[in-house]
Amino acid sequence: MLKNYFLIGIRNIWRNKVFSAINIIGLSIGLACCMLIYLYTMDELSYDKFHANKENLYRITSTIVSPDGSKNETGITGMMPGPAFKNSIPEIESYVRIQNEGLTIRHNNEVYDQEAQYVDENFFRFFSFPLLSGSPTTVFNNLRSVVLSEELAIKYFGTRDAIGKTLELKFGEDFEPFEVAGVAKTTPQNSSLKIKVLLPMKFAESRNKDTEWINFYLNTFVALKPGSNITAVENKFQQVFQREAAEQLKVNAEKYGFKEKVSFGLQPLLDMHLSTRFQAMNGLYDASNPVYSYILSAIAILILLIACINFVNLTIGRSLKRSREIGIRKCVGGQRSQLIVQFLGESFIVSVIAFGFALVLVNLVLPYFNTLANKALSFSYLFNIKLVLGYALLLCVTAFLAGFYPALVLSGFNPVKTLYGRETYGGKNYLSKGMVVFQFTLSTFLIIAVITIYTQFNYLTRYDLGYNDKGVAHVSAGRMDKAKLDVLRTELMKHPGIEKVAADQGGGWITGARINNGTDITFDYKYIDETYLPLFEIPVIAGRNFSFPLDTANGVIVNERFVKKAGWKNPLDQEVDFFYHNRKMKVVGVIRDYHYASLNETIQPQLFTFHPSHSYNDVYLKISSGSLAGAQDHMMKTFKSFFPFRPYSIKFKEDENLAAYESEAKWKQIITMGAILTIVISSIGLLGLATIAAQKRTREIGIRKVLGASVYGIVRNLSLDFLKLVLVAALIAFPIAWWATNKWLENYPYRTEISWWIFVSAGMLVTLIALMTIGFQAYSAALAKPVTSLKAE
Amino acid sequence: MIKISNLEKIYRTEEVETVALNKLSFEVKEGEFVAVMGPSGCGKSTLLNILGLLDDPDAGSFLFNGIEVAGFNERKRADLRKHNIGFVFQSFNLIDELTVFENVELPLIYTGVKPAERKKIVEEVLDKMVIMHRRNHYPQQLSGGQQQRVAVARAVVNNPKLILADEPTGNLDSSNGNEVMQLLTDLNEQGTTIVMVTHSEHDARYSHRIIRMLDGQTVMQNIMV
Repeated sequence: MLKNYFLIGIRNIWRNKVFSAINIIGLSIGLACCMLIYLYTMDELSYDKFHANKENLYRITSTIVSPDGSKNETGITGMMPGPAFKNSIPEIESYVRIQNEGLTIRHNNEVYDQEAQYVDENFFRFFSFPLLSGSPTTVFNNLRSVVLSEELAIKYFGTRDAIGKTLELKFGEDFEPFEVAGVAKTTPQNSSLKIKVLLPMKFAESRNKDTEWINFYLNTFVALKPGSNITAVENKFQQVFQREAAEQLKVNAEKYGFKEKVSFGLQPLLDMHLSTRFQAMNGLYDASNPVYSYILSAIAILILLIACINFVNLTIGRSLKRSREIGIRKCVGGQRSQLIVQFLGESFIVSVIAFGFALVLVNLVLPYFNTLANKALSFSYLFNIKLVLGYALLLCVTAFLAGFYPALVLSGFNPVKTLYGRETYGGKNYLSKGMVVFQFTLSTFLIIAVITIYTQFNYLTRYDLGYNDKGVAHVSAGRMDKAKLDVLRTELMKHPGIEKVAADQGGGWITGARINNGTDITFDYKYIDETYLPLFEIPVIAGRNFSFPLDTANGVIVNERFVKKAGWKNPLDQEVDFFYHNRKMKVVGVIRDYHYASLNETIQPQLFTFHPSHSYNDVYLKISSGSLAGAQDHMMKTFKSFFPFRPYSIKFKEDENLAAYESEAKWKQIITMGAILTIVISSIGLLGLATIAAQKRTREIGIRKVLGASVYGIVRNLSLDFLKLVLVAALIAFPIAWWATNKWLENYPYRTEISWWIFVSAGMLVTLIALMTIGFQAYSAALAKPVTSLKAE
Repeated sequence: MIKISNLEKIYRTEEVETVALNKLSFEVKEGEFVAVMGPSGCGKSTLLNILGLLDDPDAGSFLFNGIEVAGFNERKRADLRKHNIGFVFQSFNLIDELTVFENVELPLIYTGVKPAERKKIVEEVLDKMVIMHRRNHYPQQLSGGQQQRVAVARAVVNNPKLILADEPTGNLDSSNGNEVMQLLTDLNEQGTTIVMVTHSEHDARYSHRIIRMLDGQTVMQNIMV
C-alpha cells in the first residue's frame, strides 16, 4: 500500500509541476532558514560545554551599588578575590584568573600588536584546553614562559613545533625574551576563552603586585566541589570580603570618598555566553544575547509557516482535481484513516524533497550566514546526532503541519459526490482567506520593520555628532609626553596635506571629583592637547581652549552637561577638586556637548585636562581632502621613526564611528532578508491561489466575455477578491508594527520618528506586489478565448 | 442477496426538498442480473449508491445477505464493500496517475493481499479482459472501451459477490458497449450478481429482470425471457 501511495505522490508532484515547485521552493526556503537558525541556536547553547568539569566551574561576579542606589553589575574582579576566597572557603577547589593585555611582540626584527592573557599556572588543569606540546602541569613553571595557540606558533615560527623558541615581549620601553613552553590546540570556536598568547600570572604579579580589592579588570573562575551550595558560598564571599578588605574600604572611604557597597556572586560558566547581566568580556569573547536566537527563530519559523500555509491553501484549492481518486479509493474499500495516511505521506514526500533542497541551500548560504551572524558554523555539524534528530523532527513537523489539514479535508469527501462530479469546495473559505491574510500581515509587518530599521540606521549614521569626524585619521602610537608630541606634530605637518595633529588619552573612564565645596561628581575623563578641540571643530561656548603653558598646572575644560549637573550659572573659574591627588583645578572653558561615544549612549558630563607630563597614546591627523594618498607614506615613515617598536596602523574616525552601529547594520541585513523571503514565499503562494481561482472561474470568465466584459473588467473582477485580503492584512499589520517598532526604538536614546509615510509605503508596496502577482494570472485568464473557457465546463 | 424495504432518501437544500427514493422495496437474488431503468432523476443512481454502501438511506431497511446494513458506520461499510461489491461507472473513474495494472491492483491492496499474489491475480484478470498488453499504460492512453474494460477488471479483481454498474456503456460506442455488456453477462454466468442502472433498452435486454422506476418508486418489473 505504501508503494502505491508513494507512486501516486511522486506522479502527482511530477504532473503538477507549477504547484509542486511553489510548494517545494517555499518549504525549501523555510526549512533552510529553520536549519540555519537551529545550527545557530545549537552553537549558542553549546558554548563552553566542552570543559570536563563544566558543571562545577563558575565565574566570580561583582556588584557595586552606589549611595544613590544605582547598580553596576560586572563579571570582572581584581587580583584579590581568587586567592582570598580559595584560602577561606572550603567549597572552592581551585581558581584561575585571566587578565587581558595588549602586548607588542618582536620577532625577527618585526613588531606585532598582539592580544595576550595572563593566567594562573593551573589554567590547563582547570579548563579542558588540550596542549599539542608542553605539559599542562609545568608550562608556566618559568616566570618568562609563554604558551601560544597553534595558529600563532605557525605565524611566528612557521611551525607548530615551537617549544624552546623565543619571542620578545615589550614591557615599558624594553623587550624581554620569553620562551615558548607550550603550544595549545586550536580553541573550539564555541569557547568564550580564545587562547592566543598565554603568560604566567605570576609574571604580571612580579611587575605589579595588586592587593587592592576595589579594582575590577580581570576574570576570576573558581571550581567548586560537586554538590556545593551556591548561596552558601556567595554568603561566605561577603564574609571574607568584609573581613579581609575592611581596612582598605575604610581608607578608600576616608581618602577617596568611596561609599559604594560591593558584593560578589557566582555565575555558572555555562551561563556566561548568553548572559546579558554579566557579559563575557575582558579577555572573554563572543558574548551574545539570547534575544538574537529568539528573533532569528521567530523569523525562521514564520517563514516555514508561510510555506506550509501555501501547501495547505494550494492542496485544498486543487482538491477537486483529486476528488475522483478519493471517491474511487473509498469505493474499492479505502477507509478515511487510510486516505489520511496517504495524503500525509504525500506531504511527507514533498517535505523530503524540500528538505534535500534545503540542505543544499544551507550549504550554499552558510558562509554568508556566518559573516552575518559572526559565527564559524560548519556543515559538518550535521553529523552531530542531536542535530540530525532535530532536523528529522523538523522534517516530520513540517510534513504534518503542511499535510494534516488538507488530509483531513480531502479524506472527508463524499464518494457519491466526487464520483458524480458534484463535490465542490467553495463556500466562504474563511480558513484559506485567513491564511492569506496572515501571510500578508506578516509581510507588511516585516516591510515596516525593515523601513524603520533603515530609517533609524540612517538617523544614527547621519546624525550631527557635534564635531567633525570627516578626514580625521587615527593612529594608535606609543606613549609620549607633550614634548615628544610637539616634535612628532612638527614632523608630520611637514606634509602639506596634514592640516592639524592632536592627541588624547583615555575617554570612557568614569572618574570622580569634588565640586561646590563638597559635592561629588562623576564624569568621562580625557587628557587632550591644545589642538584637540580645534581639530575636531568642537565649539568652545564659554571661556577658551587650553593654552600652553598657561593651563597645564590646573586648567580643565568641561562640557555643557557637566555645567548643568554641577548647577553652575557661571562655570568659568569654578573649582574641581581632585582631592585624592591633592589637586584643585579651575574651569577655563566650556564646550558644546558632543557625542564622544556612540548614539546608543547619552552624553554624560565630560572633563578634559592638559598637562605636559600626560602620557598620550592616540594621535589624530586632520588630512585635507584628496591628500590622503600622498600623506600616507610620510605618515608611516614618521611614525615608524618615532615608534620603531610599534606596529603602525591607521584608521579613520568616521569608520570607527560607523563601526559602533555594526549590530544595527547586521540586523538591517537580517530583517531585510527575512522580509524578502516572506514576501517571495507569500507571493508565489498567492500566485498559486490566483491560478486556481482563475481555473475555477473559467466558465464564468467565458460567459462574462460573451456578454461583453472587457479584459480590464475581468482582471479587476478576479483581482479584487485577493486585493481585499491584502488590504485587510495591511490594516491588521499597521497597529502591531507601530507598537513593535516603537518598542524597539525605545532602546535608543537618539531615535527617528515613526512617520505615517512608513506605513503608507509598506501598504502600497505589499499591495503592488500582490497586484502584480494576481494581475499577471488574471490577465492570462482574461485573454483566453471564450469558446475555450466555455468548453472547459 | 439484497432485500430493501420501504427505502427512503430525501435530498434537502435550504429551500427545496427532493424525494429521491420513496418507500422503495424490492429483492435481488444471488446470481441474478437486474437492470434498473427509468427517466433521469427517478432515483436510479441514488438507489445504486445506497446498494453500494456509498450513501445512507434516510429510512427503511437494507438487508445484504440477510444482515441489516442500513445503519453501518463508515468503517463497517468500507469493510463490507471491499470484500463483496465491485463498481462499474459510466465515466470509468480510473485514477489518472496510476497505470492499468495499478488501477486494477488497488482493491487488492485495500483487502491486504500480498504483492506476489496481487500480481498473479491482476495479470489473470487483465488477461481475461484482454487488456494485458496495455498493463503499463495510463488511462489517458486508452480508448473508452479499453478504459471500461479496465474498470470492469478492477470491479471483479476481488471476486465480489455483487457488481453494481451505473450506465456502463453510456460513454461507449455500440461495438465497445456490446463488448462490455458481454463481459458483464459472462461474469453473471460465472455466478456474480449484477445490478445495472441503464437508459438503454438494448443493454437492459442482457439482464434477467428489469425494474422500472419513476419518482423514486418501482412502477413495473419485467422478467426477461
